[in-house]
Amino acid sequence: MNNSDSKINFSTALSENKVLEFKDVWKIYQMGDEKINALAGVNLSIKKGSFISIMGPSGSGKSTLLHVAGILDMPTKGTFLMKGKNTSTLSGREQARFRRKEIGFVFQRFNLFPQLSALENVLLPMIEPDPEKAKGYLDKMGLTGKYAKLPSQLSGGEQQRVSIARALVNNPSLILADEPTGELDSKNAEIIMGILKELNDKEGVTIIIVTHNPLAAEFTDKIIEMRDGNIL
Amino acid sequence: MGIYSLSLKNLRRRKLRSILTMLGVVIGVTALVVLVGLTTGMTSYMKESTGKMMGDVIIMNSSGGGTIMASPGSSFLETEAVDKIKNMSQLYNIKEDVEFFTEFNGTQIYIVGTSDWSQIKINGTKGVVVSKTLEDSGYKIGSKITIKDQEMMVTGTFSEGSMGMGVVILDADKALPMNNNKPSTVTANTRGDPEVVKDQIESTINGTTASTKSDLSKQIDDMMSGLTLFIGGIASIALLVGVISIINIMLVNVTERTREIGVLKAIGFTNREVLGSILLEAALIGFLGAVVGLIIAAILLELAIIFFGQQIGDIQLVAMLPLWLVVSVIGGATMLSVLAGLYPAWRASRLNVVEALRNE
Repeated sequence: MNNSDSKINFSTALSENKVLEFKDVWKIYQMGDEKINALAGVNLSIKKGSFISIMGPSGSGKSTLLHVAGILDMPTKGTFLMKGKNTSTLSGREQARFRRKEIGFVFQRFNLFPQLSALENVLLPMIEPDPEKAKGYLDKMGLTGKYAKLPSQLSGGEQQRVSIARALVNNPSLILADEPTGELDSKNAEIIMGILKELNDKEGVTIIIVTHNPLAAEFTDKIIEMRDGNIL
Repeated sequence: MGIYSLSLKNLRRRKLRSILTMLGVVIGVTALVVLVGLTTGMTSYMKESTGKMMGDVIIMNSSGGGTIMASPGSSFLETEAVDKIKNMSQLYNIKEDVEFFTEFNGTQIYIVGTSDWSQIKINGTKGVVVSKTLEDSGYKIGSKITIKDQEMMVTGTFSEGSMGMGVVILDADKALPMNNNKPSTVTANTRGDPEVVKDQIESTINGTTASTKSDLSKQIDDMMSGLTLFIGGIASIALLVGVISIINIMLVNVTERTREIGVLKAIGFTNREVLGSILLEAALIGFLGAVVGLIIAAILLELAIIFFGQQIGDIQLVAMLPLWLVVSVIGGATMLSVLAGLYPAWRASRLNVVEALRNE
């Protein structure tokens, strides 16, 4: 008993500095008769304040890794801990609460709500809605004066900046970005990566991006290469 | 800016679709409220006028069914029974009324012998009062009319409540001999409890049925509530069709917005919140549809009063649109719409986030 108690304490102490921890994480899909290992025993720890890019060809498992990290998907086998908590033990409702508070998502296609203005899009997930604070995030993204614009009235780069503001609005411990520059030209891609770098440098936000773009990956501190569901 | 204000924005985003979906509810509610409103208005009008007209009891021939609606103009009290009624010490202020059909210029007209002229809105003076239909065919005030071989002079006309029939209203004293002194009804005030006197009449005089005011009111309610239920049931089918179209449209909406629902869940909304926002959207369609339907129904009922009020009698809009009808129609349509939204909302809340985000 004593032994196992001390083990728990030990692992808790270890994860304090770790935002994410993958321990032999498998994700297996059944496609007809064939089994596909989207993740094949991933071991990975990500420290607080990291800025990491995950690269790899299509089907290498990088999106699945991001989905598990974002508590959008559960591992088939193995343990995934977020801030020391095993996400598989959370109820659906607790998972949603966790996502809302701890994780900010940035998507390749921005995924803003077309019927909402820039400001309303940022306010939508806010736990304590505060228009002034939301405007502050838009200002930080260089979108002063565009609060009332609908997504269709904004350029791709501007839309992605609105979605970064939306991701930041609950002060999350983690930003997850799936191909954040995938729909942007190189100039806008550079602006978006610059913003993420600054958030990481100045505010210590932990950021993980999945990307195909080597130029985007260059902004990050560490590049993780994936092949066939595992890290190289 | 919560997830629930998104519901309203979603309705506005597809205006035409929302309006067309609402239209089903609007038509259903309009049909329901107009039909139920008309029968409700009739009921309250009938109760009001019987309440005013009679004494404490009304006595009829029991063979006619003994209710106020039973074959008017064809069932009469025998002279013998009338004499017995007149001899009852419990009764006073006894009045005989008679209504019967008679041949007139080759058609049937309705003769009403009344002892209470106060219920009739006369244009002219009482005595020999004819309905609009007869007036239009030449029997104006001052002209002669012959009924059952008796020539008399028209003294007045009336237009309300004749339903397009040829009707002549006379004094009961004058009309009774034309029907061999057999009245349709005898009304009287009672000494003592009307319910007790009613039983005494029925047990002592063969072939009679006596009703008190509350009996009559109940008879009207019984008859009209059946009618209201029947008419309401038919109109409810229209509403049901409208509500079913909500299921269809909400399923389309949810499928179309699969990715948005995935995003909502990714940014931290719970399944329950997603479910709630879609139910709210369905509820709004039902609620707004019901409100618009009620407004249209009120306008149609008011128009009915303006154009046909003269024939059906003095009915007010408030009598046709009682609060219970307004509340139950709005509440009912909203609740049915929520039920209609349940399956689409449940499907949306169950969407797999990763798959939903991948949806184009």
